[in-house]
Amino acid sequence: MADQVAEAIPSLADDKPQAESNVVIETRNLSKVYRDFWGRQKVRALKALDLEVRKGEIFGLLGPNGSGKSTTIKLLLGLLFPTSGQALVFGKDASDVGKNERIGYLPEESYLYKFLNAVETLDFYGRLFDMPADVRRDRVNELITLVGLDWAKRRQLKEYSKGMTRRIGLAQALINDPELVLLDEPTSGLDPIGTREMKDMILRLRDEGKTVVMCSHLLADVQDVCDRIAILHQGELKELGRVDSLITVKDMTQVRAEGLTKEAEEEIRAVIAKHGGKLVAMENPTTTLEELFLKIVRDSEAKPGRRSTQKD
Amino acid sequence: MTFDQVIPDFGEYLFGGFVLSLIRVALLIAAGVFIGFLVASLRRGPVEGFYSVAKVIASSVNDLVNWSLRRTIAMASLAVQEAIRRLVLIVFVVFVVILLFAGWYLDTQSENPAKLYLSFVLTASNFLVVLLALFLSAFSLPADIKNRTIYTIVTKPVRAWEIVLGRILGFVTVGTMLLVPMGIVSYFFVQRGLSHDHAVEQVAAVAAGNVTQTGETTFDSHHRHTFKVYDDGTGETDVVKRHWHTVTKVGEGDSATYEFGPSIGLLQARVPVFGGLKFKDRAGADTSEGINVGSEWAYRTYIEGGSLAAAIWTFEGVTPERYPEGFDLEMNLRVFRTHKGDMEKGVLGSIVLRNPNASAKIRRSEAITFTAKEYVSDKQTIRNNIRVVDQEDGSIRDGQLFDLVDDEGRLEVWIQCGERSQYYGMAEKDVYILDRDAPFIANLAKGYAGIWLQMVMVTSFGVMFSTFLSGAVAMMATLSSFVVGYFSTFIFEVATGAKEGGGPLESLFRIVTQQNVQVDLEIGKTPTSIIQGVDLVAMMSMRVMTGMLPDYANFMGTTEYVANGYNIDGTLMSIQLLTAFCYVLVVSLVAYYLLKTREIAA
Ligand SMILES: Nc1ncnc2c1ncn2[C@@H]1O[C@H](COP(=O)(O)OP(=O)(O)OP(=O)(O)O)[C@@H](O)[C@H]1O
Ligand SMILES: [Mg+2]
Repeated sequence: MADQVAEAIPSLADDKPQAESNVVIETRNLSKVYRDFWGRQKVRALKALDLEVRKGEIFGLLGPNGSGKSTTIKLLLGLLFPTSGQALVFGKDASDVGKNERIGYLPEESYLYKFLNAVETLDFYGRLFDMPADVRRDRVNELITLVGLDWAKRRQLKEYSKGMTRRIGLAQALINDPELVLLDEPTSGLDPIGTREMKDMILRLRDEGKTVVMCSHLLADVQDVCDRIAILHQGELKELGRVDSLITVKDMTQVRAEGLTKEAEEEIRAVIAKHGGKLVAMENPTTTLEELFLKIVRDSEAKPGRRSTQKD
Repeated sequence: MTFDQVIPDFGEYLFGGFVLSLIRVALLIAAGVFIGFLVASLRRGPVEGFYSVAKVIASSVNDLVNWSLRRTIAMASLAVQEAIRRLVLIVFVVFVVILLFAGWYLDTQSENPAKLYLSFVLTASNFLVVLLALFLSAFSLPADIKNRTIYTIVTKPVRAWEIVLGRILGFVTVGTMLLVPMGIVSYFFVQRGLSHDHAVEQVAAVAAGNVTQTGETTFDSHHRHTFKVYDDGTGETDVVKRHWHTVTKVGEGDSATYEFGPSIGLLQARVPVFGGLKFKDRAGADTSEGINVGSEWAYRTYIEGGSLAAAIWTFEGVTPERYPEGFDLEMNLRVFRTHKGDMEKGVLGSIVLRNPNASAKIRRSEAITFTAKEYVSDKQTIRNNIRVVDQEDGSIRDGQLFDLVDDEGRLEVWIQCGERSQYYGMAEKDVYILDRDAPFIANLAKGYAGIWLQMVMVTSFGVMFSTFLSGAVAMMATLSSFVVGYFSTFIFEVATGAKEGGGPLESLFRIVTQQNVQVDLEIGKTPTSIIQGVDLVAMMSMRVMTGMLPDYANFMGTTEYVANGYNIDGTLMSIQLLTAFCYVLVVSLVAYYLLKTREIAA
């Protein structure tokens, strides 16, 4: 229906460059208030969040501890019910179990059954996707190799180190070859090589056309892999946009050149001087995501409630 | 043992009780939906409320359509693995230890050691298995929620229904795996506990018919038998403590030895065949029940001695094919005395077998006299050859039992009390014909099946409570449901006012102020009506509660059949099976909705 309308009125389709079907996650005015047993308000963990995540992108959720990242992911999974607003995944309400067929989720900590070994664990989750035994066997072996746990696949998870648990947690999230992967701090607990592998894996998932939503505190990692990010602070959306444009400092130009003659240099200087400027270098420098993050958090603490937006 | 438990006809149950309870279930569901709607509209307004209730219903249909056996089994086997890791083995060890100790303490001096042993093992199994079900089911889901392993489950396409069913199936599997060896161990325990040998104490040659020797056995396991040996070298002991032994004579003359076989008759499953009961009053007129003595529950009514009053049982299907050698008639009559007489002697009465066909040539047997003692079961053996009264000249002559049975295979048994001013009390199930015994092992298995059903119900209640309560609280709730269910007959009687002294508050008031239960409260009208009003509400809720919980005592009652050596009736089994199935279905449905609408990560 919506597609037909869009086709019939081309101008409308142009206004909305992303067709409806391309939106994997949509939240509208999504809010969450944690209440205690008596229904009294405890924490306003998320305030009127509007987000859209499109197919094939890597979306990062950033924010200090307790800013509502995990809450957002849990709302998207239907583990929590919104206090108000709506969370839609694949166009369906987040409480719909059917959507889970196409989702993979890696929780903050890998909450797995400690008395199972790696093979049993993955086999169990494979069964929850109603996968037949032979498909399951192949998939389990494939994933164990992928996360590099071949050497420990018959050991009970209670003997696993944190990083190993993380790896099996990731394998568990990918068992159904999901279209959408939600990763809550995927690199926590991983060694440098593991972190590198995780990042490569996330990029590979994107290349396969999957959508990834992740939250992380390791801003360098986020800067490396994410296409777009949202920064949350105390449950409020502070920043949303493409990573490359966000870390570009727009009111500064940096020029650097090579192989220019003295005369040409003079000429450029003269032009700058004529305009009353003083040449430093000639390009738009990029800051680090870390700088941006710290600035936003400081600003927001100084002026709570203000949204420093800069849409892409 | 008396058959107080009213076993309805299966058809009657199906179209009375069962359909009625289906209607009740439907009402319960409707009430649930309405409450859901109320809660939702209180929070978000009626339109949103209606919408969200409709959404839950729609998605539960969807859940049912997408039900997957593989997922359910995966959940079940996880529950099994988890349970095995927990305390299952310990429970079995506890059971074996209990049996070992019990072996020393169970008193074989008892008149009925089989009953003692059987009810001991059955009760022990019953409580252990129920306790296990209680612990396993109540703590499992809360543990998963607490350590958040549930997050990785509910974010898969697992339906709440599959989680609930998987848990129940898993724990039932574990319970079954425990109950089966318990049953087997119990059987051998009882066998061993009751088995004993005798040797010859003294023997003397006699010549009376075909009996060649009589003698006495040694005193073993707190009893001794007398025995006789026939001229073919075989023989038998008398019945002591409900059993006897075969005797074989080996050798001849002075060097002859006697061997005693294993005890016979201790572990049996007698099959009572019940008839319909009607009465004649003291003037000999038809009446549907006897008279009442005192305020006893009207289940049993009485006939007066020395009058024309009689209790008449009509048994059906009395055919030579079924009872080729006649049958045993067992009677559990009550005796009510208006004067003391000789308490030891019992009260004299008579049995007359009659042909229901009024135009039959032979209408009645000679009266068989017996004495009834209160609470003592009496057995009359009716052989094929009996003395009958000739209809024409009133002479008594030899006849056949089946001369007294009409063309439809019916036979009337008239019981009268012979002593003036003494009374016999009786109910339909107090007098019955004993059919051929059923196999004991099958009956024991049926007893264990009754325990199994209880375990299944307790498990589903536990899982249901654990969907919204924390482990310890869920366990307490399940335990309470078991206790209240167990005492539901009593509570129901309080709740319906069948017990004297009023409802809970009124009874408390009477106890505190020491007022007699039979007089009206000695306070003003208003306080009385307030107390009774509160009680009315309390009693209503008690009624609802007992109506909703399974009557576990009833289920345990069937294991009593095994201990008392009676076969568990097939109808009773089917009814209990169906009842348990309904409970499990309803309770898991409730559990499903509770889990589905629960915010897992809150
Ligand atoms: N189950 C809960 N009950 C009550 N409050 C909660 C619950 N879970 C989270 N909160 C609160 O909600 C807020 C947001 O928590 P959330 O877990 O979403 O933060 P986060 O951004 O994931 O933080 P972190 O970086 O530490 O993982 C916090 O103030 C937290 O205390
Ligand atoms: Mg978090």
